Amino acid sequence: MNLSSKTIDILQNVSLEVNAGETIAIVGSSGSGKTTLLSIIAGLDIPTSGEVYLKGQALHVADEEARAAIRGQYVGFIFQQFLLIPSLTAKENIMLPAELANMDNAEVLAQELLTKVGLSERGDHFPSQLSGGEQQRVAIARAFITQPDILFADEPTGNLDNTTGAQIENLLFELHQQAGTTLVVVTHDPKLAERCQRQVVMNNGHLEEQPAPLVEVV
Amino acid sequence: MKNWFKHSLSLLKHELKRGELTIVALAIILAVSAVFSLTGFSNHIKNALVNESTAFIAADRVWATSRPLSENVKAKADELNVNSATQVFMTSMVFSEERMVLASLTAVTDLYPLRGDLLVEQEGVESAVNAPDINRVWVQQGILSKLDVNEGDSIEIGNKSFVIQGVINQIPDASFSVFTSGPTIILHFDDLQETGLIQPGSRIWYEYLYAGEPSDIKDFEEWVKPQVNESQRWYDIKDSQSSLANALNRAEKYLSLASMLGIVLAAVAVAVAGRRYAQRQQSVVAIFKAMGTSKQYVRKVYLLHWSLLSAVSIIAGLLVGVLLLAIGLNSVKDQLQIQGQLIELYPLLVASFTGVICACAFAIVPLKELINTSPLSILRGFNNKALPWYAHIPAISALFLLIWLFSKNLPLSLALVVGGLLVSGVIMLTAKLILMLSRRAGAKAGKSWHLALANLKRRANENAVQLISFTIAIELLLLIFVMKGAIIDEWQRQLPADTANRFLVNIAHDKVDEVEAFIEQHNIVSSGLYPVVRGRLTAINDVKTIRRATKEDETKDDTARRGVGRELNLTWRNDLPSENKILDGSWWQQDSQSAQVSIEQKLAERLEVSIGDSLSFQIGSDVVEVPITSIREVNWNSLQPNFYMIFNPKVLSDFPASYINSMYITEENKPKLQEFLTDYPTVSMIDVEAIINQLRTVISQVSLAIEFVLILVVLAGSLVLVAQVQASMEERERELAILKTLGAKSKMLNLSVLYEFVALGAVAGLMASIAMEIAVYILQTRVFDMTPSLHLSYWLIGIVSGALFVGIVGFLSCSRLLKLSSVTLIRRTM
Repeated sequence: MNLSSKTIDILQNVSLEVNAGETIAIVGSSGSGKTTLLSIIAGLDIPTSGEVYLKGQALHVADEEARAAIRGQYVGFIFQQFLLIPSLTAKENIMLPAELANMDNAEVLAQELLTKVGLSERGDHFPSQLSGGEQQRVAIARAFITQPDILFADEPTGNLDNTTGAQIENLLFELHQQAGTTLVVVTHDPKLAERCQRQVVMNNGHLEEQPAPLVEVV
Repeated sequence: MKNWFKHSLSLLKHELKRGELTIVALAIILAVSAVFSLTGFSNHIKNALVNESTAFIAADRVWATSRPLSENVKAKADELNVNSATQVFMTSMVFSEERMVLASLTAVTDLYPLRGDLLVEQEGVESAVNAPDINRVWVQQGILSKLDVNEGDSIEIGNKSFVIQGVINQIPDASFSVFTSGPTIILHFDDLQETGLIQPGSRIWYEYLYAGEPSDIKDFEEWVKPQVNESQRWYDIKDSQSSLANALNRAEKYLSLASMLGIVLAAVAVAVAGRRYAQRQQSVVAIFKAMGTSKQYVRKVYLLHWSLLSAVSIIAGLLVGVLLLAIGLNSVKDQLQIQGQLIELYPLLVASFTGVICACAFAIVPLKELINTSPLSILRGFNNKALPWYAHIPAISALFLLIWLFSKNLPLSLALVVGGLLVSGVIMLTAKLILMLSRRAGAKAGKSWHLALANLKRRANENAVQLISFTIAIELLLLIFVMKGAIIDEWQRQLPADTANRFLVNIAHDKVDEVEAFIEQHNIVSSGLYPVVRGRLTAINDVKTIRRATKEDETKDDTARRGVGRELNLTWRNDLPSENKILDGSWWQQDSQSAQVSIEQKLAERLEVSIGDSLSFQIGSDVVEVPITSIREVNWNSLQPNFYMIFNPKVLSDFPASYINSMYITEENKPKLQEFLTDYPTVSMIDVEAIINQLRTVISQVSLAIEFVLILVVLAGSLVLVAQVQASMEERERELAILKTLGAKSKMLNLSVLYEFVALGAVAGLMASIAMEIAVYILQTRVFDMTPSLHLSYWLIGIVSGALFVGIVGFLSCSRLLKLSSVTLIRRTM
């Protein structure tokens, strides 16, 4: 990153391979570069040097539009701030990615997902009429509607209390199991990280694999 | 339904409901309705006034000439469905059995008058008539007394005998022939030949009158105009009646200026609110993009969204405009006859175009930025940086286009835009300086003031931008206010209560004393008596002028100079008349023994003469040669006798003259004047009260329109203020959360917010007053041709109203925030 005359390396010698269907947690202190790593592997940003492949597609040479197309095809997101579109109802928010992918049965799928996340009665409510936990459940339903190959979650429980956070975690892993989606979670929460098959630690731009008995490293 | 279409619609529906787009929609509605109603209103009023005024020239257009026009002119008029009538004027002696009198003869064709009423009394009954029958005449009262005849008696005109069929009470186009000689007789055009009065060399004046549908008249005018030569005149009511034309033109300029400024304010509101909206929508675009939406999709969603918003607002604006127009026209229907459709194409187009410009040009940059929002923003935060200078080019160009569209004056538009930019720059610098100084002052004031001024200083850049819009809004409000006062004052000055409403003409030399005695006896306000001698300009510096400037004559005599082409009314005086100003040379000393003439400035230009040139006049059988010693500017709008040529008494006083006088006759004096005129039947009277009354009607109607525009500009100004305050709302929310959490008391916060806006408003008011003063000076001297004046009393109004206005609007907009508990505030800002 170029900051006026100085150049700061946020990520250095980072090498990470994630297999299909895996769950992986990226942990690390604030400012360690977790979010930058996420933005690059999710195709939201490109690195100044190095290579990134998603489903065999080279993200580092794709332009913004091409990366958008790749994201639309393979990727789902869950954010700390939920980031629902305030002008759409809960159901419409969920339907959005399916509609963008021109799926015919978006509404049926959305209703099914609303039921799965326990909000079958709240489909017509706008985000401002929902609690934080409910908004995040809508966001999860939205992320799963297109059955993306890979789901990126940025601090998905960061804005929620413990109980709600736990419910969201359960929901996330439940849906992951049902759909077989690859899950990449950026988190501070050690409990959430422990539920993932792999944990990697970002430290001052360097990535270290955390050995864990349950994690199979490839 | 396409997905992007659906998303766009639900976005619009929801954002409209949430009130995010209220200001944008209101601003567009305001601009469109204002343009529609004002353009429509002034068009209707103008048409109605012109329609009514046409009575004063008895037609829509007049072609005045000293030679008859060829038959193909009439054929062309018929072909274009334009009605025509002919009037022939001449002066001749008329005889009864025992007496004779010099009379003005008017021979008219069947359809005369095409506009207005010729009122004639027959056997005691007054009715509106056209031309008299063959062998019959209408005569003015003066003829009856001078010839000692009655209705039904015969009189001789030239070789033919006529029966007096009725007495003329009103000739519609008489007001424009103040300088007639003798009472008028109207006869039928077809009788003219038999009178034998038309002979080579006889002094005859033809007026061909035309009237019809405006579009037909326009076509006909286009065909006629190239054929009108220098000795002829082609005119309509606006050319002939300069007071009314002037009042209308000035009102039109004012209205278009005011509505233009209103639109500028509305556009600024769109710009400010549009930018805020775009910033708030960034997260939506980032989410769309993160989920893989292409930029093109986002573009389609927002373009449709904005277009729909604009279209809905423009349609709403047009509806409101139609309503306002209907109300406006209804309020004047008693004074004016409004014709034509309520909804006309031109205002509709101009208003819609204004709406489109406001909606697009002022929002295009924020929207473009919005569409370019990076998906990374959802992780990295959003860009709220100030725009680079070039990002303002579309808005500034649109502003220029709008101003140009309304003023139709390129240099004025350029000056306004460039001037506006310079003023904004100066305001920006001054604002920063004042804000910095006020911080120091605030340190010594109370807590709330301290906080308020510290806030102002900390947000100096944003506040400077806010200040510019506040200042411009207040300045434009003051400007409209001051100009309104100045214009209406000047009108009233021009038409004081004692404006002359009667002209006395044909006063013989031996009746001058009686007229003066009458004036003195009844304390009548009068212009004084002016002698009139008819004369023809025959040479300039001994070079003969063209007598009749027809093409044929020109080829005959290349060396001849351009002349006046008709007889002039010449007068002599010792003193410079009021409403006349010497531009060059000097007025003569009393009793000066050398011959001198003072010439009116425009005629001097047309004749290409200057001080020292000598003019030769043929007066009767004599020729007088006089040097020009002064050039005068004449206020032709003043209702008093005005002259192109004024001589010193030495030159003309020995020639036989008739006298003319203008006076104001009160209701009370009207019967006395009537009595006087019965006693002195040789004196003729011309009543111009109708014209003056009409002028007064115009002024009161236009004043009404001006009040309406004022309200409009205030509304637009308020929109800008609200938009500006709203734009800073998020940041205020965060600040209030922090301050409340730190234990700041509500009362202190309330006061600090109030003081902050009051201080902003007062500073804006002060700067607006200065800017207003400069703008008013330029407008008065350059646009309205008025005398410039200072308006210090408005400075106080500017500062106080600025403080109050901004204080109240700002405080009210923030009051919702101020009422929230600190917990809610913190939650909202997390």
